[in-house]
Amino acid sequence: MKLDRRLITNFDWLMLGLVLTLSIVGIATIFSATRPIGEAPHPTFYLRQSVWMGISLVGLISVVSMDYRWFHRFSYPFFALGVFMLGVILVAGHKGMGAQRWLAIGPVSFQPSEITKISFIMALSRHLAETSKLLNMRDVARIFLVFLAVPLGLLLAQPDLGTGLMFVFIFTAMLLVAGVKRQVLIALVLTVALAVPFLGSVFWSGLKQYQKNRIVAFVKPEMDPSGIGYQIAQSKITVGSGGFLGKGYTKGTQGVLRFLPEKHTDFVFSIFAEEWGFIGSVIFIGFFLLILMRGLETAVKAKDRYGYFLSVGIVFLLAFYFTVNIGMTLGLAPVVGVPLPFMSYGGTALVTNYLAIAILINVKMRRFELFY
Amino acid sequence: MNKRRVTFLFIIVLLGFLSVTIRLVDLMVLEHERLAERAHNQHVKMESIKPRRGAIYDNRMRELAVNRKVESLYGVPREIGDPALVARKLSPYVRMSDRTLVKRLSLDKSFVWLERKLEDSAVQRIKRLNLSPQVGFVPETRRTYPKGSLGAHVIGFVNMDNKGSEGLELKYDEILRGRSRQRQHGMDAHGRALSNGGLYSGSTMGDSLVLTLDEDLQYIVEKELFNAVKKWKASSAVSILMEPDTGRILAMAVSPTFSPERPDKPEHWRNRAVTDVYEPGSTFKSILAAAALEESVARPSDRFDCSKGYIEVGGRKIRDDHRHKVLSFAEVIQKSSNVGAVKIAQRLGKNRFYGYIRSFGFGAKTGSDLPGEVRGLLRAPERWSGSSIGALAVGYEVAVTPLQLLNAYCAIANGGVLMRPYIVSEIIDADGRTVRSFSPKPIRRVISKKTSAILTGILEKVVQEGGTAVRASVLGNPVAGKTGTARKLNSNGRYSRTRYVSSFVGFVPSDKPRLAIIVVVDEPKGAIYGGEVAAPVFRNIAEHALIYLNVPRENNGNILLVSDER
Repeated sequence: MKLDRRLITNFDWLMLGLVLTLSIVGIATIFSATRPIGEAPHPTFYLRQSVWMGISLVGLISVVSMDYRWFHRFSYPFFALGVFMLGVILVAGHKGMGAQRWLAIGPVSFQPSEITKISFIMALSRHLAETSKLLNMRDVARIFLVFLAVPLGLLLAQPDLGTGLMFVFIFTAMLLVAGVKRQVLIALVLTVALAVPFLGSVFWSGLKQYQKNRIVAFVKPEMDPSGIGYQIAQSKITVGSGGFLGKGYTKGTQGVLRFLPEKHTDFVFSIFAEEWGFIGSVIFIGFFLLILMRGLETAVKAKDRYGYFLSVGIVFLLAFYFTVNIGMTLGLAPVVGVPLPFMSYGGTALVTNYLAIAILINVKMRRFELFY
Repeated sequence: MNKRRVTFLFIIVLLGFLSVTIRLVDLMVLEHERLAERAHNQHVKMESIKPRRGAIYDNRMRELAVNRKVESLYGVPREIGDPALVARKLSPYVRMSDRTLVKRLSLDKSFVWLERKLEDSAVQRIKRLNLSPQVGFVPETRRTYPKGSLGAHVIGFVNMDNKGSEGLELKYDEILRGRSRQRQHGMDAHGRALSNGGLYSGSTMGDSLVLTLDEDLQYIVEKELFNAVKKWKASSAVSILMEPDTGRILAMAVSPTFSPERPDKPEHWRNRAVTDVYEPGSTFKSILAAAALEESVARPSDRFDCSKGYIEVGGRKIRDDHRHKVLSFAEVIQKSSNVGAVKIAQRLGKNRFYGYIRSFGFGAKTGSDLPGEVRGLLRAPERWSGSSIGALAVGYEVAVTPLQLLNAYCAIANGGVLMRPYIVSEIIDADGRTVRSFSPKPIRRVISKKTSAILTGILEKVVQEGGTAVRASVLGNPVAGKTGTARKLNSNGRYSRTRYVSSFVGFVPSDKPRLAIIVVVDEPKGAIYGGEVAAPVFRNIAEHALIYLNVPRENNGNILLVSDER
């Protein structure tokens, strides 16, 4: 593998620095959130997450060292593999939290849907990169059927509502960025406005009980059919009790005392906010915003349409994760089981997010390279 | 590559960030206090820990009142499918009728008391019925009095909720109960106490009382009093034992008594030694004599003609029971001549007499720490009738509590200083550390040492040959004292000819007094005189008490012979 010196000089150290900082803060927060009561040994989540961070870094370096145009070539097969794996877990996956998301390979379990996201963005990017006109209705319908329909169906069958929504969101965002005819835009707005109530009831009846519970809990927390309302209330208490300056690192109480469930996974931000306060939270959000803006800069400066769509897709992927996760911990969004990128405990998600960042770095690094 | 479209979408993302930030301001700044309080309330539980009630000890730390662990039975009607069946199983252990029990168990409640404070044997048998969760037990404590009714009037008792109802239990209720402590302890979401919370570590207990009362002396007094009431078919009797130098109450008994663990008959609960007054009769002549001697209106050798057998004061005749001749001052007291006493009182004058009566503590509370104490009745001289001075000279028109009178005699015995009587010597905490201790407290000097010595000499003659209370003399130790035999007032305002209060009050050994004792027998039948009814009780108490206190006997054969003769 030939590495141009320019690649090193153009390496996005800021991006890597931001991501590493967030990961380390994440591990520290996981450590604090999983503090045991009394003399019990400290659960090893933070150690495992550290190992995953190491694996993620290796993954990042290997992805960065390849020219992203290789991905271009393998976009479709890779996407096909991702969709295939979604199908596999429906048959062979084991259940966690009422949904089949996990696939065990030896001692390691992972969530294929995480990897599928990247392959989905890659495939869609390739397709959009090769289409240089405004998309009309037929184009949109075709792209929907080819790229989104199958994985979405498989995801809802799991059911993994959060990831499904994310696919829809990325799909919409990328198509809008690619440019659609006005009719499509109007149709989209109308569809959303009209279909929501109608689809709502169809959708509702197709939901699993725990999903219904989450939505009920979001709309009417006091009904609290399954403790999801409790989760939201506790998250708000946890965040709010932190106050302006926070309780201080490892001084948080709500996670340790088991008031806040999912404290080191989906609700890790609540613990962070409790301990670091409003100030810390705002700085944290600022970091995240920097990552997204850096990603957009990468997109705009990318040397080809493929890199452009790739970057845009990844930026919206991260933006979606971030907004939905934090919104959910603050009671602004329904609890859909979306982790906070770089912070929440979870190996597959961490690796996937690092790979996504690696792609951004890759695109930025190679923006001056010419086609051979 | 269209920048505009990306920017548009990114603005939507920015809006998301903005709403998140606004929400953070809302939760972390505006709502912070409310949410922080909720967080705090969730895991910091305040628990009120009811302390165990403090104990009551005698002067040698022997337990007079303690707590025993018992359990109270409750039912959970909502868990009970067949109330009749459960009621049938429980009925042997529960005091309520089967019908009430069934009704209770059928209530739409999740908690009903079935029986409070069950004994261990019953608890074990109920537990063997395996009725939980339909019934359950709550640990409680039951106040127990290991010495039974001993000292019941002093100690008092508590109600079902361990709150003091009578006696020292009532008076010192707050101290004994202790402050229920608000203990803060962390709780996790599952209601488990955190290890550092130490929920039940360490027992809290109210403070305990150490009394001046001595269990053995109390027993001696109660036994003698019981015998006297039985022997004379008296309606009641009171006796108090005090240390003249200090005012410490060593024993205080009322007969008939009651069981503090099962207090019935409320008419027996009063501690008559401080709550009830009586007209002291001749025992009051010592007060008169003390005043006359102190004021030098009479010397012991002064002679008073008592041969007429009566004297007119303010239009009322005051008589002697037995005819006397011309008596010396000392003999007036020794033989308890009413005529002589009136003559002495007339010499003293009503204002000076009244002054000494007040000074000896009559007409005012003694300041003791016993609950329910009364002042007694004493009119000011302006409101006296013409005959009042005569009546007071012989112990009428004044009502005293036994404790007041004994305390006055203590002043005579200890060289002239009126002391504050007291029964609680110390308040100690659960670890035995002194919280507060009480020491003897002089109230005032009433008479001089000299007067006290002279009067003691006269009072010694009362129990000697020719006195009214030969039966009060004690083997081996000199006694000083005075009898009293007072008619009781009838409801029509006239003095009864059949109902008397017989009393004796004195101290021993009179040369170096260790004990002052009063015995008041109310309405004895068959005999009325204090010398006959109360004096022997005094003697029995004194003899046993002196042995118990290891007071050496001086072999005075004279007294020994005389006392045994009668």
